Amino acid sequence: MERPKHFLYPGAIFINPEPYLITTILGSCVSICIYDPVLKIGGMNHFMLPLWNGQGLASPRYGNIAIKKLIDNIESMGSSRSNLKVKLFGGAEIITTTISQFMIGERNINIAKDLLHEEKIPIIATSVGGKLGRKIIFDTFTGEVRQKYVGNHS
Amino acid sequence: MSNIVITDELLIEELKLRFQEKKHSLKKLEKLTKELKEVNTKLAESEALKSHFISNITNEIVNPFTSIVILSKNILSVKEGDWDKVKRMASLIHSEAFNLDFQLKNIFAAAEIEAGDLYMEVSNVKVDLLIGALLESFLPETAKKQLTFEFIKENPDDDNFIFKIDSEKLRLILSNLVDNAIKFSKNNKIIIKRWTENNNLFVSIQDFGIGISENNQKIIFDRFKRLDSGINSLNRGHGLGLSINKAILDFLNGIITISSKKNEGTTFVVSIPEAEDDPEAYSEDGNEMLFGVDEVF
Repeated sequence: MERPKHFLYPGAIFINPEPYLITTILGSCVSICIYDPVLKIGGMNHFMLPLWNGQGLASPRYGNIAIKKLIDNIESMGSSRSNLKVKLFGGAEIITTTISQFMIGERNINIAKDLLHEEKIPIIATSVGGKLGRKIIFDTFTGEVRQKYVGNHS
Repeated sequence: MSNIVITDELLIEELKLRFQEKKHSLKKLEKLTKELKEVNTKLAESEALKSHFISNITNEIVNPFTSIVILSKNILSVKEGDWDKVKRMASLIHSEAFNLDFQLKNIFAAAEIEAGDLYMEVSNVKVDLLIGALLESFLPETAKKQLTFEFIKENPDDDNFIFKIDSEKLRLILSNLVDNAIKFSKNNKIIIKRWTENNNLFVSIQDFGIGISENNQKIIFDRFKRLDSGINSLNRGHGLGLSINKAILDFLNGIITISSKKNEGTTFVVSIPEAEDDPEAYSEDGNEMLFGVDEVF
């Protein structure tokens, strides 16, 4: 079925009551696709760093803010918490490093898992880590996510 | 049964090792706690500034509106033919409205960024014309302080240089920098330069004002931060401008740098890479298809 498309930039959130195909490209960034199978709506975020450190604007470039906002947004569209499900993507280590401080991909994945666990929203599919970037297309009506691995990309 | 003999020495060795490990983790914990404390202070500060901001913004919006209402009423009661008076009041109205418009744009931009409501609207922008028009819109402000602009283009005779970029975002970034430069200038000039290098657009804005100390240079991009936030401050504003600039530049993959000397002036330089026509056509090495197998989740 033909649906309107939306390209999601890093630091942005997209959610709409109408069916959409949301596309994004991930390197060490992480995207959460949130889906309500009852209302058949969904949304996506795309964050670059795990935690906001109080500097600059409190934008959804940061995981702790992006995850909370995404959940708030879908709930404001009438979804009830107990129906929500998420799929988790990204967090590749494009730049190889062993210093844990710099392993942004892994830290991004961990914050997502921790916060979703705290919010009691089940992760029903993941494709995270590795060394390759990902391009994902999320169908917000069916909840289906198509993924392609792509060359290096932040 | 194990046949290892445990001697006192072995035990002491082991104990020593364990103590050392414990010491090590304690040190690590101490470091983490310190970091946590720092972030905590920052967040508390940010929260305090936020509530300060709300009371601040009321003044910033209500006062100009009151002036506009009163001035326009006065114009209506001016005697016929007294054009000078009308002009003076109209220019005051313009100045108040201009500031108000600018401040509101910033506030809405900040709200959009914090809501993750960001889009890229790329078009072919005649950057020199955009900068020219922007500077012109600030002329009434510079006249008040007897400032002049000096705009140095890469090609002085050609206004048609085209760069692919989101023009509204560029305009807001530059407006904030020009506005700052005017605020912190003494009677002098402001130099604006525009050039390109490796598909990056560079704009520098240099003022000869009060300058920013090195310590303060680190915090100017924090939201709601104003270096002179005292009640007697001559300068209005809400301290959002530079943090918005930083956030928009992050979004555009751009960079902002600052060099400044106290009492000599400040130069901000922004550099922004040219936008791609199609954001999905990123593939730097063009090998997307190599991995082009769809997996479905």
